[in-house]
Amino acid sequence: MRLNSFKYLVKQGFSGLWFNRVNSFASLCVMTISLLMVGISVLVSFNVTKMIGAIESRNEVIVVIKDGTPENNITLLGSQLSSNPNVFEVNYYSRDEALAGMQEGMTEDEKSLFQFMSENPLPDCYRIRVSDIDKLSDTVNQIQQLEFVEQVQSPNDFANILTSIRNVSAILFSAVTLSLIIVCFVIISNSTRASVYARRREISIMRYVGASKSFVEIPFFVEGLVIGVVSAAIAFGLTWFAYSEIFSMFTTDMNMLSIFGLTAIIPFESIAVRIAIAYVLVGIILSAVGTVISTRKHLKA
Amino acid sequence: MVEFRNVSYTYPNGQHALSHVNLKIEDNEFAFVVGANGAGKSTLIKLILRELNATEGEVIVNGFNLSKMKQRKIPKLRRTIGVVFQDFRLIPNMTVYDNVAFALRVIDAPTKYIRSRVPYVISLVGLTAKAKSYPNDLSGGEQQRVALARALVNDPQLIIADEPTGNVDPARSFEIVDLLKAINECGTTVMMVTHQHELVRYFGGRIININTGAIVFDEIIAGSAALDDETEGGE
Repeated sequence: MRLNSFKYLVKQGFSGLWFNRVNSFASLCVMTISLLMVGISVLVSFNVTKMIGAIESRNEVIVVIKDGTPENNITLLGSQLSSNPNVFEVNYYSRDEALAGMQEGMTEDEKSLFQFMSENPLPDCYRIRVSDIDKLSDTVNQIQQLEFVEQVQSPNDFANILTSIRNVSAILFSAVTLSLIIVCFVIISNSTRASVYARRREISIMRYVGASKSFVEIPFFVEGLVIGVVSAAIAFGLTWFAYSEIFSMFTTDMNMLSIFGLTAIIPFESIAVRIAIAYVLVGIILSAVGTVISTRKHLKA
Repeated sequence: MVEFRNVSYTYPNGQHALSHVNLKIEDNEFAFVVGANGAGKSTLIKLILRELNATEGEVIVNGFNLSKMKQRKIPKLRRTIGVVFQDFRLIPNMTVYDNVAFALRVIDAPTKYIRSRVPYVISLVGLTAKAKSYPNDLSGGEQQRVALARALVNDPQLIIADEPTGNVDPARSFEIVDLLKAINECGTTVMMVTHQHELVRYFGGRIININTGAIVFDEIIAGSAALDDETEGGE
């Protein structure tokens, strides 16, 4: 195709957008919302995964050893714990260390109460860390079966909540995104039909004088492409703004910091390129491909 | 060249539009196609343009066998045909020049060629002075001449004029046919569908009459214009 023809077709695409501006605007809005939903779901899933990772790496399961367990059995229990595939760190914490730890941060008065105790009431224990929080309850059950284990204390509830958030958000966003994609196709199809109708006279003449199929379709493809790219840019801008706000909230609020830590939220800069590429790709695929499919459908009629 | 070999066409609703039509229009010929509404004239044109595909028989146009033609080859066929409609089908927001140039632009013609060819064709139909006018500012006859220029600009081997004088006042109708005759004399085959019997009687030539899907008359008759010329010559 000649450069001049290409320019002409692109120009036709833009004039089609303007001529059909109400429908184009509707397509743009729906497309932007859809892209935002896709973006939000991806970002939420990235961050929830990261948070779970952060909590996983810090979370501790405390294995309380039965009172009076002989030294060699305690060692045996330690090696049994280490051999569990979901356990990546095992630390022995003796009753003396536990007591010292307990007294840490107490006032002198409070500490003085311990003078009257004849023996240390705290148990020996192992502090372990698990690598996969999803399997935490299974791991806890396995440990409970072991000999010399009095009790296992784990942050099971919190892990369960996080895992549920991750799963529910994945399902919810998939459903919302899928419905928006369907709405997108319907709106695009409608917009294309209006555009084909507005240019029906030209299209019929183009066919009679022997314009190739691509010549008839390219202006519509350009319309779709412009809508896709513009909505990707808007969605990217909105995401950037909203995400930066949320990021600063997470990194300045002490409560959030204490729960998730500084590294839990992914800085936008480190994922910006991936998000931009995803937006443009999804925008182009949804909009341009949708336009071409519906152009073919409406041009046949 | 247009050739119909035992062609029949039945619409999907079961209506038989053409049955066993045999027809041959040679290169450089001028033929009038006449017939009542619903006789099958439009189906004939649609078959030539490959908007429809014959249910039986073979249609050959400008060397293309349309019965075996693939969809993607249709634009190639149509570039050898110029079509003029009763309702002109001009694009209202384009000037005369742009309407004519449009037919070249959409077949990816070089800009240089468009710039030289379009003014030439506009001058052939006598509208140089109105090249910058919009279709709505022109009379019916002028609009049809623009449509004719658009059909001619691709330098087609065949021109199909589907009732080109239907929306033009009677005096201008003769001018349109005169123009088509002049185009024919330059070597282009012309097939003109019409309802206006006075035009046919006046110009004469090959007359093809279609009735209920069959050709009932296909002969060359002498037109009164020719007779007038002879009379004038005799005097």
